[in-house]
Amino acid sequence: MVAALLVGMAQGFAIAPERSVVQIYIFMQKPDWTAPWRYDPVQSASGSGFVIKGKRIMTNAHVVSWSRQIIVRKYQDPKPYLARVEFIGHDCDLAVLKVEDESFFADVPALDFGALPQVRSTVVTYGYPAGGREISYTRGVVSRIEMNTYSHIGNRRLLSVQTDAAINPGNSGGPVVQDERVVGVAFQGIQGLENTGFFIPPPIVERFLKDIADGQYDSVPLAGINLVALQNPDYRAKLQLPDNNSGARVDLIRPQSPASAVLQFDDVILRAGPYPVANDGTILYEGNRVSSAVAFQLHQSGDTLPVEIWRDGAAQTVTLQVAAPKDDQAQGNQFDVRPRYYIFGGLVFTPLTLDYLRDADRSGTRGGLADLNYELFYHAREDPETAPKEPVVLSNILNAPVNATFLVREATLVTRINGVVIERLTDVVRAFESSTQTYDVIGLGKHGTFETLNHAEAVRANAQILKTYGVPQDRNL
Amino acid sequence: MKLLLSLALLPWLLLPTAGLAAGPRSGWEKSVVRIEVSHNVYDYYQPWNRRSETVSKTGVVVGKTQILTTAENLSDRTLIRVQAGGRGAWANATVVWVDYYANLAVLTTPAPDFWSGLKPVTIPAKPSFKKDGLQILRWREGKLESRQAEFSQFAVRKGRLSDINQVFLEASSEIQAAGDSEPVVSGSQLVGLVIEQSGRNCKILPGAFLHMILSAHARAHAQAPRLGYFHFYWQPAENTDSLAYLGLPGKPRGVLVIEVSPRLDGQPNVLQPQDIILQIDNFDIDMQGDYADPDYGLLMLENLATRNRWAGDAVHMKIWRTGQVHDVIYRLPQYDFTNSLVPAGVFDQPADYLIVGGLVFQPLTVPYLQRWGGDRGRNALFRLNYYREDEATKARPSLVILSQVLPDRFNIGYQEYRGLVVEKINGQTVHHLSQIQAALEKPTGPFHVIDFVPNETVQRVVIAAGEREQTATARVLENFGISAAAQITPQPATAN
Repeated sequence: MVAALLVGMAQGFAIAPERSVVQIYIFMQKPDWTAPWRYDPVQSASGSGFVIKGKRIMTNAHVVSWSRQIIVRKYQDPKPYLARVEFIGHDCDLAVLKVEDESFFADVPALDFGALPQVRSTVVTYGYPAGGREISYTRGVVSRIEMNTYSHIGNRRLLSVQTDAAINPGNSGGPVVQDERVVGVAFQGIQGLENTGFFIPPPIVERFLKDIADGQYDSVPLAGINLVALQNPDYRAKLQLPDNNSGARVDLIRPQSPASAVLQFDDVILRAGPYPVANDGTILYEGNRVSSAVAFQLHQSGDTLPVEIWRDGAAQTVTLQVAAPKDDQAQGNQFDVRPRYYIFGGLVFTPLTLDYLRDADRSGTRGGLADLNYELFYHAREDPETAPKEPVVLSNILNAPVNATFLVREATLVTRINGVVIERLTDVVRAFESSTQTYDVIGLGKHGTFETLNHAEAVRANAQILKTYGVPQDRNL
Repeated sequence: MKLLLSLALLPWLLLPTAGLAAGPRSGWEKSVVRIEVSHNVYDYYQPWNRRSETVSKTGVVVGKTQILTTAENLSDRTLIRVQAGGRGAWANATVVWVDYYANLAVLTTPAPDFWSGLKPVTIPAKPSFKKDGLQILRWREGKLESRQAEFSQFAVRKGRLSDINQVFLEASSEIQAAGDSEPVVSGSQLVGLVIEQSGRNCKILPGAFLHMILSAHARAHAQAPRLGYFHFYWQPAENTDSLAYLGLPGKPRGVLVIEVSPRLDGQPNVLQPQDIILQIDNFDIDMQGDYADPDYGLLMLENLATRNRWAGDAVHMKIWRTGQVHDVIYRLPQYDFTNSLVPAGVFDQPADYLIVGGLVFQPLTVPYLQRWGGDRGRNALFRLNYYREDEATKARPSLVILSQVLPDRFNIGYQEYRGLVVEKINGQTVHHLSQIQAALEKPTGPFHVIDFVPNETVQRVVIAAGEREQTATARVLENFGISAAAQITPQPATAN
């Protein structure tokens, strides 16, 4: 046996699973969210991936986001193969690729997935990190298993595994292997921390694969609630709850979520599906104490599960439907979508998003960003009745005689146009295109600032402005 | 007329200072004095803690027994000493009056020897100095340091202690670490007091403003008038389409009123959004919002709220509204720190707080935010800092936060909570610590229910009321070495 192994290595035969690990090169182009018709220069990057069943390659979403071209290379094979994204889950940072030439998979075995690894057990990462051209292996132990922010999207916390195996740029998307089975997908580190890498564990990967089985990706569902610890004995006493280790309190319910029809503020969640919920809001999942959110996020959007709650001094069981929220995309990073915009008279309007704020900040936009930060992250929570559904900003102005005397020139919230409250980008379009007034009056910002545009002159100037600034279309809605 | 009256009542302001010339041994050493102030400084992270700080600053003799200086660092003073001639004996001094809004104060000392040989200076009512002969003076190691300063401009800026917009003189100088009320002189004239330095740029309270404040206090003694301000928002009328839309004929001019919030003093609003202000006190307002000040040149219109004007004064405005020119009288509201939802200044009072079972409640103030560090509290939690953008209203005059939780078995589970704005306690809306005390008098059964403004951390906490709460509070005070559970400055009887 040992002899056979040595012979194999001497002949240069790869031992699985490295034969199934691929290097991914991408050429990508990101948009400029402050000039939303324009893209930044093409950039190249590389990552890792691995072959799974169904002649697919699994990798991270962030490896292939904004890709214009994807090339994969097999282990010790210089031939480039063109690939494309078949499914991508930006919230869970996973993607599967298809290769145009299916002969790619002829001599490449698919890797199987294992179970969630045990803390302190040994794992090996495979991938093509920076610093060399060949495959790299790093060995480490599973340090801990808990919820973490997935930095690709930025506004989701999902189950992840921390390891001290080195995970460096280029490792992303590569398999983390234990006993020749994949127990994770390497995906992120923390700057400044040594020997700290994170991988996406099998439950998240399996949920993703199950999600796409029907041909579309629906996203990770959430319970639609904020649970907080209920460890203070007096709060427990007020809720007539025994002073023990059980139960966490519902502190906030997302208004549009299915939970809003079933749960109430101050309900106490005693059990989520099969998992008893502790008074710190955690469950015991596969031997690991993790946030009870895990009990909800491993389901598919639309699934229901029994939830035992404590309300009015008694326990009862309700059926809770989990759902993937669609109303918080603007608060996270967005990918593979063209930014939406509308241009009228050289005024560039776009929805307020985290991406816009980041690019505006990067481009040195002066002032106004604190107002937009409040609008994006706080206004709807604090005062939902006055918060627009989709805040719109006057991103910038394409200078032209028709708008030359505008004082406000960038990064300002649009509140009204011709007296109509602006709730979303399409309201802006409607306001201008239905205007019969000589002057369009645009309300901006927090303190009633307004600017005025000669409507007829703006209509006449539109085409020339677009041509002057090389804008292909006046809108992407 | 007002100016003539004040001069008649204030002969000491006109005492001749002939013979004084800028520079060492110019005679200014007889008018410039050193001031040493010891005062309490509060730690807004631990508001029950205070420390004593001693700072040096400069003053100018302006009357027979009076020294003019800035108000900065005079808050909660414990000892003031003054020294003439830059060396020798110190004399204990007292404050005659201090005006934190104007950032000025007058000191005196009963020590008769102190005044011997000192000469009051002239403060002209109007700027008439030579712009190329400015000197900044202060005592250093027993000698009067004199540094040249180059006039830059007169400009309207926010004050150092308040948010009042007023005219400042800006000058460039090689002097270092100025800003402690150093006099700026030109020949024999006091031109102003340095209140701030950033790089080479010195921000100077101009002499005419000093004259105005001194005159008012001398005239009114204890009931000196307060500074007013324009409480409406406006924007320049550079967008000519906006002027056309509003139908203003003729050349572009004036500024657009864009927001007029309800006045806290109950006075009616005479301005409306989309009014165009054409004139203020007979000064034409240009489309940038400037007017031609006869003393200072072009200045932003905000200065007209403090240019020989006081809170309550009538300001005459000519406005364009719905196709016609209207004459309106705008009564200047009084500037008060509490006009802002987050007061910019807290003076002559300890830092307020209330401890209940280890939960520490504090008013949200700029001094609290500044404790987080950064430029004017920039490092504070974003949401707390952003409240500074809001004005106080009758419905929401101020904010109280749960600033921290001092750990105790009573508050277990809450130890990490901080920076949460309190909305209600036991169902009662609270904006002030005294309202928290009142709300705690009416518990929800055996509990206190504390609700916060919606946030991402937690919306509600519940604690026990009654004896257990009181025992816990006493235990926390003992464990953390805090002498009192509360320091609450009574609210003013009426707002503004």
